[in-house]
Amino acid sequence: MNNTIVRKLEGKVACITGGTRSIGRAIAEAFLAEGASVVVNGRDTVKGEASLSEMNAGDRAAFFAGDASRQETCEGIVDYAIERFGHLDICVLNSGGVLNTAPVAQMSDEEWRLEIDWNLNHVFWGMRRALQHMIPRQSGRVIVTSSVEGKLGKPGIPGYVTTKHAVNGLVKSAAQEVGTLGITVNAILPGIIETDIVRATGPESAVAMGLAGYDEMIALFCADSAIKRPNRVEEVAAVAVLLASDAARNMTGCLFPVDGGSMPY
Amino acid sequence: MGVLDGQVACITGGTRGIGRAIAEAFVREGANVVINGRSENKGRQAVAEMNAGDAVHFIAADIKQRQNCDDLVDATVAKYGRIDILVANAGGGSDYAPIVDLTDEAMQNAMVFSFWHTFWTMRKAFGYMIPQRSGRVIAISSVEGKIGKPTISPYVASKHAINGLVKSASKEVGTVGITVNALCPGAIETDEMKTEGPGAAAAMGITYEGLLDIFANESAIKRLNEVEDVANVALLLASPAGAGITGSLISIDGGTSPY
Repeated sequence: MNNTIVRKLEGKVACITGGTRSIGRAIAEAFLAEGASVVVNGRDTVKGEASLSEMNAGDRAAFFAGDASRQETCEGIVDYAIERFGHLDICVLNSGGVLNTAPVAQMSDEEWRLEIDWNLNHVFWGMRRALQHMIPRQSGRVIVTSSVEGKLGKPGIPGYVTTKHAVNGLVKSAAQEVGTLGITVNAILPGIIETDIVRATGPESAVAMGLAGYDEMIALFCADSAIKRPNRVEEVAAVAVLLASDAARNMTGCLFPVDGGSMPY
Repeated sequence: MGVLDGQVACITGGTRGIGRAIAEAFVREGANVVINGRSENKGRQAVAEMNAGDAVHFIAADIKQRQNCDDLVDATVAKYGRIDILVANAGGGSDYAPIVDLTDEAMQNAMVFSFWHTFWTMRKAFGYMIPQRSGRVIAISSVEGKIGKPTISPYVASKHAINGLVKSASKEVGTVGITVNALCPGAIETDEMKTEGPGAAAAMGITYEGLLDIFANESAIKRLNEVEDVANVALLLASPAGAGITGSLISIDGGTSPY
């Protein structure tokens, strides 16, 4: 048999918003293992440098510091990847989360705007910049980390649910625009994963959702699923590698579930 | 080393087209694979072309018969000792017509070919997978399992039925290490398509080329899909990384399906 290891992303360049920990980090490590060069992002330079050292990928990994809810970061990481590695093949818009929790009736304009900026505008700003680079090259992959909440809706987290629904629409529309140009645009919809950000914001989300605590919130998400357990970052990363690879050239506009059977469609 | 080392797969159909591409991908990743078809000659030819020694085995069977579906799964276990992955891939239809003129036979044929065979093989495979508390069932559905074209209602209905079966089954076995998913490919110019497409097109009042154009034009990529597109996703679902994906209807359709 043929035992030659063919790496699926050899020579490709990727940028990932977020990426120092959890889902983005798992994607970064999977991309590096498949031969890509990767720029990861986060607000904290100390965490960024630590993640580079832990990933131990030498010159193939770089860190771009910045808040993904700000336009200059979303455009800056794309520009930085091109400057650092010469071009950009794969743009993973992964940063996001539950920022401020409140039922709609108590939601402030300011909280609403923050969540729209982080989860929706960040994806638009990063995607627009990436497509401006990819369209002339007639080649590229845009992968958005969406969520089961992009198809479902839980109480108490309306900003998260709304923005994840919105990015799914953005992905579908963009996919139609660039479908004949060798560029694919897809979303991955993970179920609940106990990432650092879920651990950090989960207790407050649980209260907003009317639950006793963090454990009850995790149990609620698991109860939605067929597997009755949270998903894992490696499960998302495997799908990201597939979508990023040349093999997935004909998959676009797809909302790819990694949710243990939680969504009705 | 492959991601499916030591795994055993059974693929209905599999001598050509999508099933063949999946078989080749699985064998490349270390699995032992049973492929199936009605024709001994085509089976022998496929095994010879795949050139994978004892890692691929052909079993002739018409999967439109329940007993043959049961026997195919049993024979897989007899040959390789277990079954880890079932790919219910065979399917299709014939004698398409607008519903007002559609015969019972045309509807039944498509339902047996696509849906019933998926149910029969899944039920039989679960009999092995549930006790071993692990398994993967992959049903080859279609973009027509999510949308619907006129005049090919047997095909559309049978693929929608598969999608419902997959969702329900995934909920039954979700906590026992078994995943059940459907792949929904866009149109691919397989031998099956070349055989059945002209009849379907004629029933729709268009040419075969016109039918392919409809499929291409409704996609974002404005071209047809390829069998390897489907095999890549099947491999992911069959691999350890696919353990958290179940009950999914995964579109591999160049951006055609609305959901």
